[in-house]
Amino acid sequence: MKADQGLMSVSSAAELIRQGKYLSIAGDEAALRQLPSGHWIGGTIPYFMAADGGTVSREQVFVTEVSGFAAPPELRFYDQGSLPQICRNAPENGYSILIIPAFSAIHASFARNAPNFEEMYMKPLIGWIAGVHLDDLSTVTPKVVLGSTGEFSADHAVVMDVALPPEKFAQIDIVNLFRPGTGDRITFADTGFNAADCQINGQPGNLADYLLANNSDTRLPLVADYSGAMINVSIKSIEREARRVEFYAPVFPGIEYRIAAPLTDYLEAFRAALPQVEADISFSCNCILNFLYSDLAGKRTGHVTGPMTFGEIGYQLLNQTLVYLTITE
Amino acid sequence: MKPEDLLREALDIYAPWQIVRMRNDLGKGQIDIWVAQQAPKTGWFFNARSNVEQGNEQIWRHINIGNARCIVHATPPSGTAGENLQWFGEVDQPFTHGLSRKIASMFMEGFSFPAVCSTLDISVSDLWKFKHRLDSGKSGLSGKSAEAGGATAQAESAIPEANDPVWEKLLDGTISIDIRILSLKLLLTKLREQFSVITDSEVRILKAHEMQRYFVRHEKLLGHELAQLARF
Repeated sequence: MKADQGLMSVSSAAELIRQGKYLSIAGDEAALRQLPSGHWIGGTIPYFMAADGGTVSREQVFVTEVSGFAAPPELRFYDQGSLPQICRNAPENGYSILIIPAFSAIHASFARNAPNFEEMYMKPLIGWIAGVHLDDLSTVTPKVVLGSTGEFSADHAVVMDVALPPEKFAQIDIVNLFRPGTGDRITFADTGFNAADCQINGQPGNLADYLLANNSDTRLPLVADYSGAMINVSIKSIEREARRVEFYAPVFPGIEYRIAAPLTDYLEAFRAALPQVEADISFSCNCILNFLYSDLAGKRTGHVTGPMTFGEIGYQLLNQTLVYLTITE
Repeated sequence: MKPEDLLREALDIYAPWQIVRMRNDLGKGQIDIWVAQQAPKTGWFFNARSNVEQGNEQIWRHINIGNARCIVHATPPSGTAGENLQWFGEVDQPFTHGLSRKIASMFMEGFSFPAVCSTLDISVSDLWKFKHRLDSGKSGLSGKSAEAGGATAQAESAIPEANDPVWEKLLDGTISIDIRILSLKLLLTKLREQFSVITDSEVRILKAHEMQRYFVRHEKLLGHELAQLARF
């Protein structure tokens, strides 16, 4: 990572903004509100993987500088109606950084519909879901920031479109330590952030009943194999009386899921899976569930740093996954 | 004639309907218009007062305004009043009657799916939805089969032509390749799931074109994948 980015004080971030740099900034809302207007986008979250290890901070912010572009990046809000145009509006050669507030209608809409956005998968799209400190879940709403105007929003997505010179190209990849277990195949008839009825090995079943009967560890996500990419759907809760399971991302019909195989040592597995990339990682984020479940406070995940978020975006919504961007010539 | 009258005429919007609002910032190269029934004028460019019902607004893609996409927002009138309105569409369908008829006439002239998408700047997914409507008999075609024309020519590229059967084989799972690129893994999964439920041969060709278009765009990254396709 570059020397002038990472977890830093508000005053240091403010100085970078005043220097006219283009930035993506993550931090607690109170910290973000101290920043001056400028060429930045932001989202609320107080959990980070810093150079010194997993950190929770309401005072510091995590700054990622955007550089090497062919033209000044464009910053804007999207609302739910316009967000499907995000890839169509993106530069022909470049990438887009997208931040969406958790629990909003636009978050749900993106989660459900992103795979069918026009030009999706054709242009690199990376980002994260803004959240809050877990102590504030019932009192504070996640927000994104359009730094050029200083406007905060709990209902919009914010995007920075970055055009690259023709000799460079952006690439997005993920590190997901979870693999489908050897258990039953689970499928769903409908897209949704929750599910009751499902098919288990082709037979009608109820997912809540199944998880409870098997005493499943709900820290383990459902995992689907997308042509070799392991994609998680994390479990939020089991509503015992309603016999329904809530997720942090939607399940989709036509996709086969299995409960993930257990991880014995997240850090060891992560270090072994660390991307062996020659190019610098220009942007990365990881999941707060990994932070919590694997007790990453104070522990380092190698050279990869970034906010620990309420969801990750690697083209579509991801859970319990590290997403990273590299720029290559 | 006033500019707003010219625009109404160009879009076949006549009294008692009028354009009550217009935006050009919701999408690149896109103009959104809101159409409602006329109310007493208040005197400015587009009437400020209109009978715009918010609750049941439908959105359709209409015939382009120059090079810009035109998106119509309107609330369906009661009964069958909307059937003969060119700028209107059926509930939950992507195109207005006017654009639907234009697309249907292009098919009858032998335009391929990719050519329709390219010429009218229509998204593949919207044309797919519309084609299913054709399959259900709500619109008619001549029955001419679309050839897989419009293939992207790459004289010195390793990428198979758009009409090469390798693409359908990749989508129907007849062949599998090891993929290193995340976006291709995700796109292939999506297209395979769609392909598995598509029976219309023209729409299957369209999906194959979509897959090939990805390879054309990202050729520099796909050496590993293209080497495997070359074996088939």
